[in-house]
Amino acid sequence: MKKIKEILNALLSSNTPTGFEFYGNDTIKSLAEGIFDEIKTDSVGNFLLVKKSSKQNAKKLLIDAHYDTVGLMVTGVFKGGFLSVTQLGGLDTSVLPSTEVTVLGKENVYGIITSTPPHLKKGESKSPKMDELYVDTGYSKEKLSELVSIGDPIIYRNKVDYINGDYVTSAYLDDKACLCALIYAASQMDKDKMEFDLYLTASAQEETGKSAVARLTFDLEPDLAVVTDVNFARTEKDDSFDCIEAGKGASFDISAVTDRKITKNIMKYLTSEGVGYQCSCEPSRTSTNADYVSISGNGIPTVLISVPLKSMHTPSETVNLNDIKSLSDVLVKISYNDKILN
Amino acid sequence: MKELLNKLSLEFGPSGCEDRVREAIKEEIKDYIVGKESFVDPLGNYIIHIGGNGPKLMISAHMDEVGFMVKGITDEGLLKFGTVGGIDPICLGAKRVISESGVRGNIVMKPIHLLSPSERGQAPKIKNLSIDIGASTKKEAEELTFVGDYFTFDSDYVEYGEGFIKGKALDDRLGCAIMCQLIKDIYEGKIEPKYDTYFAFTTREEIGYSGAYGASMRIRPQYAIVIESKAVADIYGVDEDSEVARLGDGVIISFADRGAIYDHTFVKHIKAIADKNEIKNQTNRYISGGNDSMHIQKNAEGARVSTLSCASRYIHSQSDVIHEDDLFATYETVKEVLKNDRPN
Repeated sequence: MKKIKEILNALLSSNTPTGFEFYGNDTIKSLAEGIFDEIKTDSVGNFLLVKKSSKQNAKKLLIDAHYDTVGLMVTGVFKGGFLSVTQLGGLDTSVLPSTEVTVLGKENVYGIITSTPPHLKKGESKSPKMDELYVDTGYSKEKLSELVSIGDPIIYRNKVDYINGDYVTSAYLDDKACLCALIYAASQMDKDKMEFDLYLTASAQEETGKSAVARLTFDLEPDLAVVTDVNFARTEKDDSFDCIEAGKGASFDISAVTDRKITKNIMKYLTSEGVGYQCSCEPSRTSTNADYVSISGNGIPTVLISVPLKSMHTPSETVNLNDIKSLSDVLVKISYNDKILN
Repeated sequence: MKELLNKLSLEFGPSGCEDRVREAIKEEIKDYIVGKESFVDPLGNYIIHIGGNGPKLMISAHMDEVGFMVKGITDEGLLKFGTVGGIDPICLGAKRVISESGVRGNIVMKPIHLLSPSERGQAPKIKNLSIDIGASTKKEAEELTFVGDYFTFDSDYVEYGEGFIKGKALDDRLGCAIMCQLIKDIYEGKIEPKYDTYFAFTTREEIGYSGAYGASMRIRPQYAIVIESKAVADIYGVDEDSEVARLGDGVIISFADRGAIYDHTFVKHIKAIADKNEIKNQTNRYISGGNDSMHIQKNAEGARVSTLSCASRYIHSQSDVIHEDDLFATYETVKEVLKNDRPN
């Protein structure tokens, strides 16, 4: 678990709002060193990390986690040091007031998202609209204009806390929790046991729904794509079965998008190997990279595996470290058995 | 004084549970009150009689902060809570909290995709929020907390921009920090008070039924100065009339708020002293809020009260913001008032 924490802490300290994944180049490169045979970046911000099996003509396994995170973007600089903002990815504005952020300008600028005091609120309490919120930087407009430009990204201020031992809280666990599992899994994979060549993607622009990874899968034409992402973990009592359970392991998403046969094969194989998992259903689309990957190129058999995450897209996303370990265990097993394709 | 504010703001002290703040203050000033009468009264107020020649003056600031109390634990191991003091639920979603014993938690709410159409766009309600401490059963949670346990925001002290300070509980640890500094100044002979001076670090201000009742009954002051922070809205997009006051424009010398109409003579006297000493000052341009002064004013024989406050943005959230110029202007004003004779 120590190694997982190290990888995770490195990923969480890189700032990679969607569309600005290149800010994390050095982090990925230093983490990948010694584990992978090849490290590539492409024109849209994806990273491709390759680890080859000792086996000749091994089949291609692509495993994806997206590297980008939700954020905000500066749309205006105003008197008193306030910035107007728009969102990068889907945010629930009802968690934003009084939240601390970092503006990635010429230098990092600390800020607080404004909150209207109760004496000015009239009638029923509504969640604020994006255009009613500003980022308070404490600078004069003149000084702020030197530091920040329209178009600069803004991220939640990063603060990593460990809760009740195994839970980690940070703003950037979607999808760095999965990316951590992927890098750790790759470090654990024994080339002599690998029946696939591993193509690991740390992909760009998932949060805006543009799924840049589809460009890579188009080129690579893998025999199997495993997309990993976070999924809603249950907090309060929920009878809708829309959530999975934190601490119960990686979760297979069964969907119209995912490959029914291979998903079943993997689950059967894991059970026979004594590896635990859970599963949940996304009857229609999955709202993950799997939607795009599956239809890229000539069509790619795709499996989706999730890590349960609480408080998605908020400054306090929370994941159980055991679930990261579980995803890693599952991925190592998959890489050792190409018969799951049959 | 900023270092002390940093330190005091991090102490755990929701209303009714101010012990740690009081102990930190006691430790801070113990060498400066040698030979002076000091005591903790039954409500937990910490009162120091410094003395001086003149009418009785009570200077007070409250030690408590807003927070949360655990009301129950669900089968899923989540804590249902009530707020201690007034907290706008819009400032609670996904915020981090910490208990008296150091148990960390996050405030969780239903993810947006599980909200019914009528719930979407509505501000969260306290009853729909829970504290998640990473327990998956009631039993596991009960090993970490209990019904009646307190939590506060888990937020650090940050100086940002040009002179701004963000922290939790700056309301009213800023008042506590100023009072500690004044006590040190008096000890070091920098101030010779022209009043028979009492300092009262009070409890339970945030819930309204304040420790200041007992403190003022015991002290029976003729004059009182409450050092506070005041909620303002000097944020972009708010019209000037509703701003209340502005951060960085100096100490707020209030003439009235929702709790008290301040003593006209005393307020004018303080304003004249601030002006004479070229201390930046302003007044509130909107009647809102209230504080300990309303209780002190009407208690015992009645006192001539005034409130000197620092303007605060996002008050009662994890990101309480003040400006350092206002902190020092407030301190300077009280200092000069102490050095000058009472108003005629």
